[in-house]
Amino acid sequence: MKLITQSRLHKSIPLGLIAILAGCGGDDGNSGNPGEPGGPPATEIAELNIAVNDVAFDAGIATINYRITNEQDEPVVGIPSATYIAAQLLPMGYTNAGNASQWQYFTSESCSNVCDGEFIDHKNGQYSYTFSGAFDGMNDISFMSGATQRVVIKVGGDALPDGTALPMTNQHHDWQDKGSAPAYTRNLIEMDTCNSCHNDLAFHGSKYNEVETCVTCHNLDKVSNPDNVFAPMVHGKHLVGFPVSLADCQTCHAADETLTENMNWARVPTMEACGSCHTNIDFPAGQGHPTQQDNSNCVACHNAEWTMSAHSQADTDAVLGQFNVEIVSAVLTGTTVELAVRLSNPATNEVYTESADKLNFVNDLRIYANWGVSVDYTTRSARSIKLQQTAPISGSDGLFTYQISGLTVPSELTAGIGTLAIQGKLCSDDDMLANCAETDNTTNLKSSHQFFSAMALSDTGRRVVVTNETCGSCHGDQQLNYHGSRNDLEGQCQVCHNRNMQAEASADNPAASTADYKHLVHTLHAGSRESYPDINYPGNIGNCAQCHTEDDAGVLTAALPLDSAVQPLAFDDGTFTSPTAAICSACHTSDTSMSHMTQQGAVFKGSEADATAGTESCSTCHGQGATYDVLSVHPIK
Amino acid sequence: MKTLPFHINKPLQLSLIALAISASITPALADGYGLQSANRDNAKVEKWQCKRCVTSSGFSGSVGVGAAYNDASDIHFGNTSGTDTDGAVGHLEADVNYTSATGYQTLIEADKLGYDTGSAKIETGRPGQYQIALGYRGLANYDTNAALSPYRNSGDQLVLPDSWQTGATTGQMPTLNADVTDTTLKTLRDRFLLGADYKGSFYKATINYQHEERQGKRSFSGNLLTNSAMLAQPIDDSTDELAAKIYFNGKGWLIGIDSSFSQYKNDHQAISWNSAFTPTFGAAYEGQSAASPDNKAYRVGANAQLSGNGHQVLMNLSVASFTQDQAFLPATINGPSPALPASNLDGQVDTTDMKLKYSGRLARGLSVRARYDYSDRDNKTTLNPYPQVITDSYYAGTAVNPEYDRTKQLVDVGAKYRFTRSMYIDGGYRYDHNDYSDLDRDSLQQNTLYAKLNYRISPAWSAWIKATASDRTGSAYNAVTTTSSPSNPYLRKSYLADRERQEYKLNVAYSGSEAFSASANVHANFDDYDDTQVGLTSVDIQGYDISASYRVNEDFNINAYLNQDWRDSKQAGSTNFGLPNWYANTDEQSTLVGAGLDYQNLFDSKLNLGLDYSYSDGQSDTDVIQGLTSPYGDYFAEKHNINAFAKYQLAEKMALRFDWIFENYKDSDWLNQGLAVDSIPNVLIFGDLNHDYNAHYFGLTFSYQL
Repeated sequence: MKLITQSRLHKSIPLGLIAILAGCGGDDGNSGNPGEPGGPPATEIAELNIAVNDVAFDAGIATINYRITNEQDEPVVGIPSATYIAAQLLPMGYTNAGNASQWQYFTSESCSNVCDGEFIDHKNGQYSYTFSGAFDGMNDISFMSGATQRVVIKVGGDALPDGTALPMTNQHHDWQDKGSAPAYTRNLIEMDTCNSCHNDLAFHGSKYNEVETCVTCHNLDKVSNPDNVFAPMVHGKHLVGFPVSLADCQTCHAADETLTENMNWARVPTMEACGSCHTNIDFPAGQGHPTQQDNSNCVACHNAEWTMSAHSQADTDAVLGQFNVEIVSAVLTGTTVELAVRLSNPATNEVYTESADKLNFVNDLRIYANWGVSVDYTTRSARSIKLQQTAPISGSDGLFTYQISGLTVPSELTAGIGTLAIQGKLCSDDDMLANCAETDNTTNLKSSHQFFSAMALSDTGRRVVVTNETCGSCHGDQQLNYHGSRNDLEGQCQVCHNRNMQAEASADNPAASTADYKHLVHTLHAGSRESYPDINYPGNIGNCAQCHTEDDAGVLTAALPLDSAVQPLAFDDGTFTSPTAAICSACHTSDTSMSHMTQQGAVFKGSEADATAGTESCSTCHGQGATYDVLSVHPIK
Repeated sequence: MKTLPFHINKPLQLSLIALAISASITPALADGYGLQSANRDNAKVEKWQCKRCVTSSGFSGSVGVGAAYNDASDIHFGNTSGTDTDGAVGHLEADVNYTSATGYQTLIEADKLGYDTGSAKIETGRPGQYQIALGYRGLANYDTNAALSPYRNSGDQLVLPDSWQTGATTGQMPTLNADVTDTTLKTLRDRFLLGADYKGSFYKATINYQHEERQGKRSFSGNLLTNSAMLAQPIDDSTDELAAKIYFNGKGWLIGIDSSFSQYKNDHQAISWNSAFTPTFGAAYEGQSAASPDNKAYRVGANAQLSGNGHQVLMNLSVASFTQDQAFLPATINGPSPALPASNLDGQVDTTDMKLKYSGRLARGLSVRARYDYSDRDNKTTLNPYPQVITDSYYAGTAVNPEYDRTKQLVDVGAKYRFTRSMYIDGGYRYDHNDYSDLDRDSLQQNTLYAKLNYRISPAWSAWIKATASDRTGSAYNAVTTTSSPSNPYLRKSYLADRERQEYKLNVAYSGSEAFSASANVHANFDDYDDTQVGLTSVDIQGYDISASYRVNEDFNINAYLNQDWRDSKQAGSTNFGLPNWYANTDEQSTLVGAGLDYQNLFDSKLNLGLDYSYSDGQSDTDVIQGLTSPYGDYFAEKHNINAFAKYQLAEKMALRFDWIFENYKDSDWLNQGLAVDSIPNVLIFGDLNHDYNAHYFGLTFSYQL
């Protein structure tokens, strides 16, 4: 992201010069200084790009010269305030063998009406800031020649004198005094990785929104509590409520070769970093781990390969790669579905010739069935069989037939579509399937679902609103398991968590009291369910696109009008709330909102007939493409 | 061995016997290529006879007895004085020659006999015909007598005191400081020699036997997972070598066979120790490590040489085999050991070496030479999957023993052309080819060009300059995958890396007067590892030598020498398994300067004086640079040494000699400089092993002239 900004600057130089030539014509007017292109100041500003030209020293006092432009490369003149943070990086192993590289805070200085140092607006997009004094000795830190230095410039959050709002912008610049490029860096994580769940993280009055900024203060030389040093602090904050396995370090420490130290999580194990997740260990006391006084020994055992392997999903992937469940046919007869199942080993391309009840590595293998996707299913009690306990009614050589009976099939829906959902657990030992009699270790299957009509399997079925991929953006790839091993968030949960679930009539927020999937998920993430008081949604709850996928036409599935299959919200007292209002009021809970909805035809706790009468006129204004399109009034990214 | 049938006349039988003896070693075939090969047809040998040499029968020489005071409070001084006895010490000297009237000659020599480094020899025989020698020589290496350790040696065992309390770290071992005692690390070697040679009219046979016993203690690192203790490993081993060779020669030819057998026996099969640390995992209270295994080697070589008409061909072929079948120790003694695939290595490595050499004079002043060398190492040991129990603590799968086979070939062609009597040029081209197994590269090739210009400027002054340039490259570099941690993909190991090397040497010598001679040379080497991003990138060596001697008069000589060398190495590394981001410069410097005088026949020819002074200083400074420069600590050794004697002739046959040795020695190694036994949490070290002493040796030797 920073690289793009800088390359834009390079491109802008010739463009800027051309602009000057064009603007000046044959005139003797003021031409920009070479290298300091002027041009008309920006009037519209959606983003601020800060490019640092250099850091000059005079008697040990640093002056940082930089240029600010908007997204059009037009100079931004008249920035009213800024904050400058300076820090120094000690290289890995410098403070002691095995220690991670470490930031040292020098100072943070601000300029608005008054300035700690000296601020100059060159009025052509160029700015200079001279710190109030030499870094050396500030905060009792010695400035070390050759060390990597960082200055963070924070601007924005206020407006130009003409009222043009300035977006909050942090820009860091790393350099060293011997030559231009720093000899070493600590580039571990991109803010984009954090924002894949957090959307728009910003702290301290929303002023600081880049990892590169955070670390300049959250280090041992600035914060008094060691728990607030960046790595332990961030690790610690994610220990509770993390939406995916904590063991997968690469959820945050994403593999990214443009980040020179992206593999530090595996290559630089330290008590501080590892101990902040492995909180049951006291290294110096030798509790939970053999005694270690410092970090010098860690890599002797925990070399990068070991650490990667210990935190890897490779074993799980390898086990799952040895087992595949496939429903090859299904036919509905009355209320009984007869289905044929084939189990195979994709790793060897061989079909398991025995049925699941004879395979000693199958701990659990279940198929659930429900009917009627056009009405969001006919029952909340999907029928199921356990294949590991059920002898097939027929079959041989790897293709076995089972029956699931007792489906709810109303006569008007016999031509409908049903869903078969598969879940299970396999006994495993490291990366191999294992006999359940010999191990307690199990690996969850990736759940899946299969649609079927009365006659055959079907490629289409229930509408797709969220996908395992969108859920996986925070929860990992089918790594969030409910009820043991149910992890197909896209199509499995809804087989039971459907409109047949009822809300409590007495609930303040009815949506937070029903287990119907859409309401359950909305209110879970909004933190409004009493049974999940600790939910702290990490991103912007209004960003529907974090979870909702796009339909075939490329429209986000959060758009109105709703799919015709969506049913009203049922209450335990027999009343109903019309479908759109039921969804919107899960978050928009105020009386004002509800009266607005009521005025526009919504039915709250009315009769089923009223709630399904179609009086809701939400789409008129909030429909896709309309003036107040749901998709445009929400902060969707 | 005692009944070697040297009387057999037929050469064929002789060579068969020589083969059967399967002895002799020293590939010092120099015997075969020496003066004997010179064209002596026209030499008037009878004129070489020494007319002034008077052959007298009876005893000659001297015997002596000495007593000395030796300051060995730091035994390192023993490396200079020859003994680590602190205080009074005595020795015997002898240099006795007995010649019978029939020309039978016996020589008895003793030098510092009684010291660890003493030697003695008895040689008897008829010079030029046969000779039998019996010898003894002591060798000693004194490291330190101040290594601090809580361990006591007991056979193969290193044991801790009964009251020892383990700790998770060295700082948590409560009795450590009370239990440590001074431990001495030194090795002493006693070498016994028995040799015989016989020279017939057209052949020469030699047989040598050497038995060497070694004892002492050396530093050993006893590791258990991440904890380590420095231990004084006991050394008690012996080496036997038997070598025999026989050469036949005639006009324009020489053939020979030499063979050798050697056997190494170690009294210790293992070193085992109590762990001073609390076990990291499980119950690893003991450590055990194999000691050097018993092993055997034999070698048989054949040499042939043909010459005539200014052409000469040399051929040499030898085969050798190295074996060891010492029983394996269990893979671990902490808990059940995984089964080993064999009870011993049954290791065998065979080598084949061949040399072909031609030299010839093509025209007046022009000679050419060509050479081909072949050397093959073939490891015939069975490859097995051996269980790996990492430092006696946890099982980590199996590893197969690598073969490390190697074939080296070398071709060298050169010519020497003499322009004038005072100037010649010599140059050549050399190609080295190496094939390897189990290394990061399968093959390495090196092309070398060299040239030397020799110029005799005047009868007094001569000079030569030599320049060599070589370029080494090889097959694709594929980092081995047999290591537990993969190598950085940019790493090029220095011994396998592409390299450009330049060597220059200039030598000037003066020998203009009988009294004064001097020589000086400057040399420079530049190694550029031109394809290395991570690893050793360059080594530059520069230095000079100057030496001179001056004979003031018949009785008074002085000499002086000065040598300095600098070696600067550069290395690049990476902390993030990628391109280099740190650099290390190691600058090494050595200085050797000395002067000596030798004054004889003072005080009416009764007094001889000698005085030598030398100063040596070697140091290494390493800077690690990653933006910031982090220097390593001190690493140096500095020595002033004075060695003086005065020998006074008390009477016609009695003399008294006084020796004085003084040494001022300091060294330091940042690895242990200033450290206490518990300075490193997971390493129980010997403490600071640096030396800093002034030591004297005063000796008086009385000798009697026979």
